[in-house]
Amino acid sequence: MQRVISYERGLEKFNPLRNVVTYDDFDLGFNGWLDLTPNFVNADYRHHPSEVDLASWAPSMISAAPMRFAATHGSMEGTYSLKLNTKPVANRYEEKPANGSMGVVLKRLSNFDPNLRYVQMEAWYAYTPQQDRLGFGEEDMRAFGFYFDLQDPEYRWMPGVRYVNSVNGELTKKWQYWKVADGVTKKEWCYGREDGWQRPGIDNLWYGRRFPDGSADAFQWVPDGAQDLLYNESPDKINWLYFRLLIDYQRREYVELQSMDKTFDLRGLSPTMSEPYKSINNLINPIFFVETDTNRSVNLFLDSVVYSTE
Amino acid sequence: MLTFATSVIERRLPITAAHSTHPFEAGWAGEAVFFVQVEGTHPALSIQAQISPDGLHWVDRGEPRKLLEQEEITAIDLANFGGWLRLAITGATEQEPATVLVHLALKG
Repeated sequence: MQRVISYERGLEKFNPLRNVVTYDDFDLGFNGWLDLTPNFVNADYRHHPSEVDLASWAPSMISAAPMRFAATHGSMEGTYSLKLNTKPVANRYEEKPANGSMGVVLKRLSNFDPNLRYVQMEAWYAYTPQQDRLGFGEEDMRAFGFYFDLQDPEYRWMPGVRYVNSVNGELTKKWQYWKVADGVTKKEWCYGREDGWQRPGIDNLWYGRRFPDGSADAFQWVPDGAQDLLYNESPDKINWLYFRLLIDYQRREYVELQSMDKTFDLRGLSPTMSEPYKSINNLINPIFFVETDTNRSVNLFLDSVVYSTE
Repeated sequence: MLTFATSVIERRLPITAAHSTHPFEAGWAGEAVFFVQVEGTHPALSIQAQISPDGLHWVDRGEPRKLLEQEEITAIDLANFGGWLRLAITGATEQEPATVLVHLALKG
């Protein structure tokens, strides 16, 4: 039998590992990506208590990127992208994230390879605030990023990165990777709460103390991680940017972050290892998120994403 | 086969004044149905569907829907709505709040 393998042409703009597990072009719909919500398993379908309202984030949507004065932007290839967005609300950076100040989407997958060595996420994306006021707008996007929520037989761990674009209105434009600073207690991690399921190293995107220079308990600066990402002069212009994060699943370490034309070598850096949680062995959840810096909705558009393994 | 998706636009949100739901893009869909559920005791609510060219400027679409004190759920269906959708909900006050759960079912 002669096998013939052909790939969708849209994959040409990606650089996947050997196994393309999922290729999601949002011209085809949500493709299994959905808004992240907590577990509604308590009395009256309430979720576990948390100092941050994890049920408050803004809903994601399939977007044609319509603008106020410009025409519909469409996506990089096609009409639609997956738009993460926020409600028009924010606390100061060093406070806990305001209800609704983030948007979070994920896909729920699992490991099927007993010899899994690498996991990688790639994305073509764009970002901009809503054009609801005068001005440039770039400084109103606080941060966006990506992480894997992983559990192997020994640890639950969340390797990820975020681009800190702006801190209290001051452009920062530097990458961070997910790792909890040494000595952070559960109480410090959870805004004073000591009970419950939260642990340092779990859900870095909204837990841990944050400091006015953009540093945080949950994140460490990527070495030489400054990058002037392309933001095109006005809230109604978006350009499509490339993102790739490669993780060594066996060594539980970062390998590389590629952002546009720049590759950051992350070898030797590792995220925080946490005790495994019940019944989620082999969990692999890729997750994107966005956070606003002020009382303004901001948007992160995903044209298409590829999750691949080797 | 059609594409279908249900999003939760407001998740058990307590409201104590006039409230507009989070602006939602649905230009890909040919039909839309808002489901509004209210938890617990609540005043009569008036619910008005609105559409927008840009997510910033809004115009009413169709007639307002009444959700009476003894009712728990209502549905508002839309077609030919352009791109952006939201609901303007009035009737809740500090003295008589309402907790709303809003789904938007889209098909196209």
